[in-house]
Amino acid sequence: MRRFSQYAFEISDVSHVSFWKKAGPMDRVYIGYGLLVVLLVVISYLLGATGALPYDPQEINLELIMAPPNTGGHLLGTDFMGRDMLSRLIISIQAYFLPGLLAIGIAIVFGTCFGVFAGYWGGALETATTYVSNLLNSFPRLVLILLMVAAFKPDIYYIMIIVGVTNIPVVASLIHSKIQFLKQKNFIEAATALGLNNCTIIFKHILWHNCRSVLIIQATLGMAEAILMETSLSYLGFGVQEPTPSWGNMVQAGSNYFMQGKFWPSTAPALAILFAIMGFHLLGDGLNSMLERKGDR
Amino acid sequence: MKLSAVRPITVLVTRELGIAALLLLGVSFVVFVILYLSPGNPFATLVTRIETAADPGAAAAAPATWYGQYFTWLKNLFKGNLGNSIRTGLPVLQEVVRVGINTLYLTIGSLLVTLLIAVPIAVFSARRGMTPTSWSMTVFTYVVSALPVFWLGYIVIYISIHRFGLFPLAFGSSAGPWNWFYFLLPVLVLGISNGTISEVVRYLREEMKRVFAEEYIVTARAKGASVWKHSFKEGFLIPITEIIAAKIPFILGGAVVVEQVFNWPGMGRMAWQAAQDRDYPLIMGITLVAAIIVRMGSLMQRVVHIIVNPRASKE
Repeated sequence: MRRFSQYAFEISDVSHVSFWKKAGPMDRVYIGYGLLVVLLVVISYLLGATGALPYDPQEINLELIMAPPNTGGHLLGTDFMGRDMLSRLIISIQAYFLPGLLAIGIAIVFGTCFGVFAGYWGGALETATTYVSNLLNSFPRLVLILLMVAAFKPDIYYIMIIVGVTNIPVVASLIHSKIQFLKQKNFIEAATALGLNNCTIIFKHILWHNCRSVLIIQATLGMAEAILMETSLSYLGFGVQEPTPSWGNMVQAGSNYFMQGKFWPSTAPALAILFAIMGFHLLGDGLNSMLERKGDR
Repeated sequence: MKLSAVRPITVLVTRELGIAALLLLGVSFVVFVILYLSPGNPFATLVTRIETAADPGAAAAAPATWYGQYFTWLKNLFKGNLGNSIRTGLPVLQEVVRVGINTLYLTIGSLLVTLLIAVPIAVFSARRGMTPTSWSMTVFTYVVSALPVFWLGYIVIYISIHRFGLFPLAFGSSAGPWNWFYFLLPVLVLGISNGTISEVVRYLREEMKRVFAEEYIVTARAKGASVWKHSFKEGFLIPITEIIAAKIPFILGGAVVVEQVFNWPGMGRMAWQAAQDRDYPLIMGITLVAAIIVRMGSLMQRVVHIIVNPRASKE
């Protein structure tokens, strides 16, 4: 016969060591770098939204075309029309920030629903959600987006809806397996025996206490996915259209001059993509090993 | 579980085939729904075009109901008749299969490159733990998987033009001693920066670590038997087929960009062109063929899983 205190321990899985202390040294580096990137992205988004930029990102200066970094007051140089690189890089975050959040929201909300249906109730619902997940997994994402673009119109919000929808199976399978694992423990049984309704058990005991970290990690990785898709699509010419800058179409515009040995106009946005995506990946993986593996190290 | 409860492998494989067929039916339905909802009713036009192409004499008109249109299209799909491309007028299926071979080369080649890079790093860091060497290699995988594939493509093209005097955009037109080079470069670029290396490394490393800690491996180690031989199936074969099957869609997606950069005449570039021209029959055909390729990958993974562990029949 187990004592209640043991159940209580299981419910919240609280140990009194802080998460930060449990993280390995590399995880701290990963998470630190990732948080720095997130901070930079948010600050840049706010700067772009309030218009507090060093130069007007659309202002053309034909006397200073493709200037190298740090000439004439342009910290990162200028592009092929003499527009300030730094301002364009900052304002580009507008292109994926809100659409990316939309994609993440869709993936998290619907993925959680699917995962709870499959894991908590099981049976026919499980079969149905597995089928839908496999169905969504059958499409290469970029090809599905191209189909969508052909059928409707190249709009960044449509594209991000597809990104979110195709991310649903990932979240759903994680929540599903997590719930299956939790069901082996006794606290769900205990909660049912106490007369709690399904709603409380699912939202409080399962999702809030035990799936929070999974969802945060998936949100982080989802942002990396959104940036990757936005830049790829803008590079291909289906995302954000030219006068409005985005990292993808900046690389594309700069690539015309790449073969002449003028690397900078496409390298600067490419590096921005590299550091941003790496930041979100590292943050997700660092958080994963910090929050999900308890007492492993 | 009793041995008699284990069903024969052929039954299980047949079941997997049935599931794959059902999923492909679902794929066709999703493609239909997207086109059906799109403004201007292109699907009815498409069905009419297919019907008239099959039987020029009959004054064909598309069925009015949505399921009528879907089933007419599906019937023609089973006959291999996907209609003609709006832009070129050529039959879609032949076109997609013709360029699909090139994409298959690119995809399989870059998958091999990815594995050649990722597997040694994963095995090394699973075996040795986190040493400075394995740590720097892990960071390297993160950098490499975040590299924008188009930018890496430009760098590679620039270097090969300016350093080696080769022009890797001329696909297949150059019958010289350097012919292999034009094939190899896109494969290398896609293999390195398709954004999956870090995930492959992570997944393989975690699975291997888990299996190395299992009791039967500890027993094998204590007996002095080969750890590799005992952990191969669970620790290597199953995870690697799983991650390959899961990453095929990503590599096919990356192929769209790489084919654009390197002028590689594959399905991805054709999809890009079709999306530009709103060439509905062509993009539908490409989506279907891409989904078939992905399903084949998953089918292969399931079959390997079943052969290795027939008890895992219920999943």
